[in-house]
Amino acid sequence: MSIIETHQLTKVFPGDVRAVDGIDFEVKAGEVFGFLGPNGAGKTTTIKVLNTLIKPTAGTATVCGYDVVKSPAEVRGCIGYVAQDVGVDEYGTGRENLTLYGHFYRLDGRTIKQRVKELFELVDLTGFEDKMVSTYSGGMRKRLDLAMGLIHRPAVIFLDEPTVGLDPQTRVHIWDYIRDLVKAMGVTIFLTTHYMEEADHLADRIAIIDLGKIMATGTPDELKHSIGGDVVTLSPSTTGEEDREEFMRRTQSALSGKPFVLGTQATDGDLAVYVNKGESAVPSIIRLLSSEGIDIETISMSHPTLDDVFLKYTGRTIRAQEGTRTTYAQIQRKRSRRHQ
Amino acid sequence: MNLLSDIWFQVVRGLRTQFRIKVFIFINLVQPVLWLLFFPQIFKSLADMPGIGGSYLQFLAPGVVVITVLFGSAWSGMGMLHLIDMGILSKMLATPVTRVSIILGGVISSMVVLVMQAVIIFIIAVIMGVDVATGAPGVFLAIFLVILLGLGFAGFSNGLALLFKRAEPLMGTINFVTLPLMLISSIMMPPQLLPGWLDTARQFNPVDYAVVGVRGLVLEGYVWSDLWLSLLILAAWATAGIAFGTFMFRFRAE
Repeated sequence: MSIIETHQLTKVFPGDVRAVDGIDFEVKAGEVFGFLGPNGAGKTTTIKVLNTLIKPTAGTATVCGYDVVKSPAEVRGCIGYVAQDVGVDEYGTGRENLTLYGHFYRLDGRTIKQRVKELFELVDLTGFEDKMVSTYSGGMRKRLDLAMGLIHRPAVIFLDEPTVGLDPQTRVHIWDYIRDLVKAMGVTIFLTTHYMEEADHLADRIAIIDLGKIMATGTPDELKHSIGGDVVTLSPSTTGEEDREEFMRRTQSALSGKPFVLGTQATDGDLAVYVNKGESAVPSIIRLLSSEGIDIETISMSHPTLDDVFLKYTGRTIRAQEGTRTTYAQIQRKRSRRHQ
Repeated sequence: MNLLSDIWFQVVRGLRTQFRIKVFIFINLVQPVLWLLFFPQIFKSLADMPGIGGSYLQFLAPGVVVITVLFGSAWSGMGMLHLIDMGILSKMLATPVTRVSIILGGVISSMVVLVMQAVIIFIIAVIMGVDVATGAPGVFLAIFLVILLGLGFAGFSNGLALLFKRAEPLMGTINFVTLPLMLISSIMMPPQLLPGWLDTARQFNPVDYAVVGVRGLVLEGYVWSDLWLSLLILAAWATAGIAFGTFMFRFRAE
């Protein structure tokens, strides 16, 4: 059974910004579904549409069997939302924050009391119930935030960039809590992230999203296998723009048609070569290139990661985009959208 | 039922927040006392002018109540901005909570604090020697008048917070609006001493209707012709402010 389903879901913001551009996907009950993409890809917009916070421009979406536009109240009752910004109230204690949400979900006082106790245990905050949230660390706030999305035992929980802004150690901890959740409550998780490791670590299935479109869907293994084998990365010894282009052109033509080469993809001055078996391909590539008189600075081989998958489907690496001009513009756009 | 209980929870949350920011409580109480102490000194020579009646403190005290409510309620939108900025608002909106309870709860909780302040100012004023012509019932009516004034300003302020969604334009607008509204009124000067154009302008200022109403109750007694007009205008003002706030909430909250 699909607990989330979208058909041609589209959201256009003023200024013809197509944040989400006709996406179709299904999430099955009980799975962890990851939306992987760079900043500004349309992940948060998708979550906000599914959460009933914004209305889609076109297309449909159902959550728990309810249409997000026609039955928003029913949708809200069956979901929990853990936003990118930690939405906890600093001027309240942990217990006050959690209790308030219990009331919002129309739970009675006794149930709330009991669930507060359970949830503080689950997220390892027992003993901090009556401390002010302003004294909590970033990781503790995120855990409280997580608990606040769970007080009514929702069927689906939306985690928007659950570990963004946390240090690596805390990130791993939050991952543990998320996995415990699935085990303890059997809740369906819809997760967005721009961290490859996070998607790889947590998600049963992943959709790769870029510029508002879904580029590929599958389990992490399926996606990695779709690359076909290993990735050999070549970087040229020249640095000039023209020399690099020359390098790309010559190398690509030298490699094309060779039986051990499945495909090539240029990126940020490097060339990714997809091969069946990296260990035997590396010597062959070196021989071939030196016979063609093409100089390379470094050669490296890796088993495919989701980063390679992302590169294959979008033509860019997710990391390379951070800090580039496009990403900056996208962040600006995202900001101005928030303030509209 | 859900609406009422949701409003209740929001009011409790709002009050908790306001009371935990201790410096605000301090400022909000000390400031009106300073007004009551200093202004009668500054304007001492005005005491015998027509319309003041011998004691500037007596004349000013109703004005201080109105000013406190005016400034307090005009800044009420900052609470909404806090909810927006911290991501609390969108988190609340993803729950089945009654939408309108979020803005009404915010407005009501700022009014609760302002009523407390108004009562305290009245008490201090009486201790300093102000004589309230209508006694305790008059004070209740006066507080009702300033509640209406405050509801209007709080409604507009919350609406503007939702419209701008950032602090700078909101703070700018509040400063731009509140100070002139205070000056274009009979808070500091009796109407008789105002230049003609100001005396006309103040009739379009809701703040002035609150001052005239409250001052009447303190200095003269129940002047029903003035009181009804004040009640009517301020009720309309409160309705307009709340309507603006809820309208903005409906369209701008996400």
